[in-house]
Amino acid sequence: MAHRNLLYLLSLKELRTRYKKSVLGWAWSLLNPISQMLIFTIIFTYVFGQNPLAGDPSGLKNFPLYFLCGLLPWNFFAITTSTAMGNVQNGAGLIKKVTFPHEHLVFSVVVAQFVTLLIETIILFVALTLAGQTPLVWLPILLVLYGLWALFTTGVALALSAANVFFHDVQYLWSIVSQLLFYATPVIYFIPLIKLDALRNVANYGPTGSFIVAFHDVLYDGRMPSIARVGYLAVLAAFTLAAGAWIFGKLSPRFAEQM
Amino acid sequence: MAGDIALSVDHLVKSFRIHQQKTNSLKQLIAARGRNRYDDFVAVDDVTFDVREGEVFGIIGQNGSGKSTLLKCMAGILQPNSGTVQVFRRMGALLELGAGFHPELTGRENIFLNAAILGMGRREIALRFDEIVDFSGLHTFIDQPVKTYSSGMYVRLAFAVAINVDPQLLIVDEILAVGDVSFQRRCLEKFVEFRSEGRTIVLVTHDMGSVKNLCDRAIWLEHGKAIDEGDPADLVEAYTERMLGGAAPAADGSVRRGSGEIRITEVEMFTQGDPTPVKRCRTSDSIVLRLHYQAEKTVPQPVIGIEIQSLGGATVTAPNTRDVGMVPPNMSGTGVVDITIPRVDLLPGTYDLHTSITDFNRAYVYDHVQLALRFDVMTGKPYETGGLVTMRPQWSLS
Repeated sequence: MAHRNLLYLLSLKELRTRYKKSVLGWAWSLLNPISQMLIFTIIFTYVFGQNPLAGDPSGLKNFPLYFLCGLLPWNFFAITTSTAMGNVQNGAGLIKKVTFPHEHLVFSVVVAQFVTLLIETIILFVALTLAGQTPLVWLPILLVLYGLWALFTTGVALALSAANVFFHDVQYLWSIVSQLLFYATPVIYFIPLIKLDALRNVANYGPTGSFIVAFHDVLYDGRMPSIARVGYLAVLAAFTLAAGAWIFGKLSPRFAEQM
Repeated sequence: MAGDIALSVDHLVKSFRIHQQKTNSLKQLIAARGRNRYDDFVAVDDVTFDVREGEVFGIIGQNGSGKSTLLKCMAGILQPNSGTVQVFRRMGALLELGAGFHPELTGRENIFLNAAILGMGRREIALRFDEIVDFSGLHTFIDQPVKTYSSGMYVRLAFAVAINVDPQLLIVDEILAVGDVSFQRRCLEKFVEFRSEGRTIVLVTHDMGSVKNLCDRAIWLEHGKAIDEGDPADLVEAYTERMLGGAAPAADGSVRRGSGEIRITEVEMFTQGDPTPVKRCRTSDSIVLRLHYQAEKTVPQPVIGIEIQSLGGATVTAPNTRDVGMVPPNMSGTGVVDITIPRVDLLPGTYDLHTSITDFNRAYVYDHVQLALRFDVMTGKPYETGGLVTMRPQWSLS
């Protein structure tokens, strides 16, 4: 009871303090993916002279919307994992002086970022509707997928932030690894256009790629992802969360001493 | 329920690995692989005690004796290497006030957040919110971000939250020494209220006075071991003796500590303009206390103070130059400080004079001489048989 309250208030703190001193405030969280989307659109359209593939069966043929469908969940993952590491590290003062469940420092970031993702997704829905799509039909399955994605992200964030207390290299290493992951994930390209089989498999079935593919299925193509994929994602999310929770649980009693 | 155990510490051992080099990066770990030497430092060594329901339990010991480590183990912040801590009551640990305050959030938001960190539910906080604000006395600032608060306001708010968490077992580390005098008194009142409500308190402090006055029982830690346990008055006496004994008393029985940049070399007492120093005076005499000082180097803003104590240990008076706004920008060389006391209000008895020279914040001690002068007050006018000082009462009987 008391701990649920703590999670709620910590998440609220995350949301409230993030843009406290900035003029545009919350608009920043929207401007970030929009600017990324514009950059990719310009590069792919005018530098590489590419055309987007049409969504099947939606028939949607639009770079900006394709990018946004992958970028929003990707950013959720990337920002949550890196912020969670910082949040646990900055929580040293608290961890050394007060007894409380340390994992809430991670959970609160996940919750706050998830709220951000949902708000961004509302904007994406408006844009998709304007482009003639009916995204609302897919809302229930999208929420299930988002939920699995959040569990997967939580697992990664737990493992990383616990390890980072012991070795600060983890955060620097992760900024490189997450960049590699970004390119291994079909956010800015279409899987059918990949020339190399091995790379296509990585993009399609890699831990992050397999999620993004499902998001594209639902949002861009307007179709149900295969049951096999949803099952795979559920197993992936459950396994990652369990592993992350186990690592965090093992290490967190030693946080106060290590910090 | 008096007599029940509120907290039980059983053969608790906590040691830390002191690495020659702290490895916080992978490179260091790999580079030092196998060669990373460390020593085990035993901070708490096989300590066992029970705290009974409703008692105030003191933990005394020098800095580095393991008090804080023991407290952190009790609070569940550190994991003991062996032994157990069992807590049978709702525990609140006040190891640091305002841990977790966020400067950008308002006082109101921080109250909710901080109380939640300390383990309160939302409804509970809402119920106590007014009480917390009342106690802090910060009504007009409660919707301002706490970064605009002065440090005093910050501490007041933090204490107000902490004390309202309503623990049945309160663990306190030195925090009664914060805030201004009136706030300290309010804290002490709250403390006494807690005690009279039959709650259990575990107190770590350097203030031997509060151990003697507040505690029912105490434990004395030295180098991580519990070397004595029992009646706080006896323990404090033994402890004080040991602490001062360590400082090697001089031939005249005085004990000196401090960094020594400036020292009080001699203390003399004169009465009524008599040029020969004396060691006795009478009630109502006019006396001059002359402190001779010698500075090794220039000392900025030294605060000179004296303390007069009865043989029974009661401090009768303890004036210093900061209280009267007479702190020189710096002092060097040798010289004297004269303290004129126009009328001694002490009643007959033997008194001890201690001197001190500290920095402006009274935190850094240049020189402290315990028992710099012992003097006797003899019968003068008025004469009273009880007490230490006379307030020159005017009686009228009708």
